[in-house]
Amino acid sequence: MHAKDHMDEHERKLKAKIPGDDTGIEVRKSICAICDPTTQCGLDLYVRDGRIIKVEGSQENPHNGGTLCSKGAATRQYVYHEDRLRTPLKRTGPRGSGEFAPISWDEALDTVVANLDRVRSESGAESTVFYVGYPKQMRPFVQRLAMQFGSPNFCTESSTCFTATAMAFKLVYGQMAGADLAHARCLLVWSANPFYSNTPMARGLLDALDCGTKLIVVDPRCTPLASHADIHLQLKPGTDGALALGMAHVIIEEDLYDREFVAAYAHGFADYRSYVAGFDPERAQQITGVPAEKIRAAARLYATTRPAALLPSAAPVGHNTNGVQNYRAAFALIGLTGNFDVKGGNKVAPFSWLEIGGAGFVTRQHEFEMPRQWADLPPRVGAARFPVWAELVDQAQAMDLPRQILTGDPYRLRALVAFGLNHRMFPASARFLEAIQKLDFICDIDLFATDTSRYADIVLPACSSVERSELRCYPEKYVALSQPAIAPLGESRSDTDIVFDLAHRLALDDPLLNPGPDGGVEPADAFEAAMDWIFAPSGMTMAELREHPGGMPVPHPLVSPERAYRERGFPTPTGRMEFASSILQKYSSQVGIDALPTYRPPKYSPEGSPDLARDYPLVLNTGSRLPMFVHSRTYRLSWTRSLRPQPAADLNPADARRLGIDEGDEIELSTPSGAIRVRANVTELGQPGVVHMYHDHAEADVNLLLESDYLDPISGFPGFKALLCRVDKVKSRRGTGEEKPGIAEAVRGGNAVQP
Amino acid sequence: MSHAFYLDVDRCSGCFACTVACMDQNDLEVRDEPTAWRQVFAVESGAYPEAHLRYVSLACMHCEDAPCLLACPTGAVHREAGAQVVRVEADLCIGCHSCSIACPFGVPRFGADGKMQKCDLCDERLKYGLEPACVRACPTRALRQGSPNELGLSVGRKAAKRLTGET
Repeated sequence: MHAKDHMDEHERKLKAKIPGDDTGIEVRKSICAICDPTTQCGLDLYVRDGRIIKVEGSQENPHNGGTLCSKGAATRQYVYHEDRLRTPLKRTGPRGSGEFAPISWDEALDTVVANLDRVRSESGAESTVFYVGYPKQMRPFVQRLAMQFGSPNFCTESSTCFTATAMAFKLVYGQMAGADLAHARCLLVWSANPFYSNTPMARGLLDALDCGTKLIVVDPRCTPLASHADIHLQLKPGTDGALALGMAHVIIEEDLYDREFVAAYAHGFADYRSYVAGFDPERAQQITGVPAEKIRAAARLYATTRPAALLPSAAPVGHNTNGVQNYRAAFALIGLTGNFDVKGGNKVAPFSWLEIGGAGFVTRQHEFEMPRQWADLPPRVGAARFPVWAELVDQAQAMDLPRQILTGDPYRLRALVAFGLNHRMFPASARFLEAIQKLDFICDIDLFATDTSRYADIVLPACSSVERSELRCYPEKYVALSQPAIAPLGESRSDTDIVFDLAHRLALDDPLLNPGPDGGVEPADAFEAAMDWIFAPSGMTMAELREHPGGMPVPHPLVSPERAYRERGFPTPTGRMEFASSILQKYSSQVGIDALPTYRPPKYSPEGSPDLARDYPLVLNTGSRLPMFVHSRTYRLSWTRSLRPQPAADLNPADARRLGIDEGDEIELSTPSGAIRVRANVTELGQPGVVHMYHDHAEADVNLLLESDYLDPISGFPGFKALLCRVDKVKSRRGTGEEKPGIAEAVRGGNAVQP
Repeated sequence: MSHAFYLDVDRCSGCFACTVACMDQNDLEVRDEPTAWRQVFAVESGAYPEAHLRYVSLACMHCEDAPCLLACPTGAVHREAGAQVVRVEADLCIGCHSCSIACPFGVPRFGADGKMQKCDLCDERLKYGLEPACVRACPTRALRQGSPNELGLSVGRKAAKRLTGET
């Protein structure tokens, strides 16, 4: 008999974490906010004695349908990590020293308010910058706080993510239009790998493919999605525009375009057509490395399979010095083929809440976050340098922060209030750190003590999404207002509570942010009241949503009509789809800005800078997603970190052979800006001549290899996905006593099996 | 009734959700050694521009005629009468690694105590109508579990559609 056979039923149930009265394990509903904002999987938290002991995806949430990704599955380690901030802190040593003393919330918030008031009275409200990184739930509240305080300088991590894609859409169509995956017969996925960035969408794509939907994938890498493609266009990083123009060439040349739509609803087609004439597939092949025949086949498949949808990604194409133009060239294909605002094509759907479109309701989010007009405020950070951004985006462009802090041009910046600030998000990250040390005052609000928070004067502990209430909606016409599943750790508080408390202490004259100027209104109640105001047009109330902690279907979801442009036109200056942009035309005297979606090679590339390419012959592509990480957010968790324990660069076997590099060797990646040492991960994931390196590693920060002004002149986005580097071998893995095979294998981010 | 894990290799993307869900369910301490009970392997073939990458998630198969069970000298690895799960009893394990030699899938793991550990099929969860943690998490529904004959039918249905061009 085995001892275990005698293990009592109760013990077995406890060990297996079976919920029930007898085990004292309760399943509570919440929402994952480790990545943001298009996933937000519903969570089932197994809670015993007030502590989470296990996590699963919520079955009833139609978005994740009971599933989770590797990051969400590590929620327990994320919530209880030892780096979590537990109390407000005041800096006691020099900036960067990490010396802090715990203080009370009253002392901390009063210190913040005293500093903001002082800086405002001395230098104006605009000298204070408000910033939000991840998560995004508090963005509208922080933006309103900034505006009511009097500062135009509200900026976010969207200065490097998603916004360039939205700008490209707006320049062509005046609005965004999402891929209607469920009804498309052909999908053109342009550099997205939802398997690692948005797993609910990946499942939707696979289901569509099971129903016979054709798939074209544009991606420099052999991603899991590319392996499903009918046609994989494996282009060189940063050449997307040339590929799109090559496809347009075929579509126009072979008369596969929608003549009726173009004639009735487009502006600038003649100029576009003559520009595109210069990009026959053979020329496109020369630039992109994609065989001309594949370009032809893809153009024909996309143009002749109706309806066809183009699925862009949040950032990669925009992460290029010609990023917006490249995506404009790609998005022009939607209108060219008559797939704009049709079922199964790219469908216009109004934003509901937090950048989620098509959830079936509208809100007053925009009115809430923009209580004042830009014209009534001093110019935002980045407004002069990135005028197209300023025209299209209601935020400051954070990429211009270090320059303005260091030069004081056009005015001095003196204080920073940041929620989730990570200096490694910025190109030339060391310069960003150097710049913020010139500020008089920094308050950082974060979940964890981070390398950036060490530079703050006051550090405030935020709680995670499972410890607070948060409202999220989903394209499946579903909405959830979560309730705290566990009490906040230590003295941590919800980010929005901190915003409302600050608004109160700043005595802002704003009934939505400061409903009880004389006291007596709890921040959590103020939050709900503000949410009710924002959600008024949706017909839903917080009281109603609170009754459904796991979420509920949106009642009477709005249905957008097809081809609304027939009645309303396009919200562009000409009222038409713009092959030639009227907005860009205004700024076309600036280098890198043209009305047509012109192609320019990445500033640092074999074509764009041949001299540099002699010493730095490899293309460096940074930040492509790995499945277990999302930026820096799950590095510190042993479960996810064990899957890729060391910083490693993906190198094609052909390059590795040429450079005498073996799997697991220590290598140096360098550019004229800097160098980092990482392990070699030799894999066919990438193509020869291209090195892929993940970002945000404290011990090997790849953003040190970029210049701070390596930016797209239209969006201000950094050219993260295409620059030049060299790779040198530093040390062999063999003979260094580091041959513990299991660990080295795990470096690959998948225990690789050699063919 | 026998049991099988089934993996739709076309749908597995190497995302590791199964691996981490298993760590969470079983409170695994995974630090410097690859001791996760469920492993994900990347299989590469061919070279640019014809390279192919596939992913396979593997854990204990709970084989009907389990070689580890025969190899174990102390009976630590055992199967209860009529049960599906191949279990390991840590108290009886002497850390001889015979099971590792016998296992065709390289499943046995050895923690800091030197004792063998591996997947227990989440059999207690199955008893209460809950799927194994790895299966529940799998975002693409590549990983499934159940009776091999039932799983075979669901694969067959998909193949039949493909054969008739009705995909």
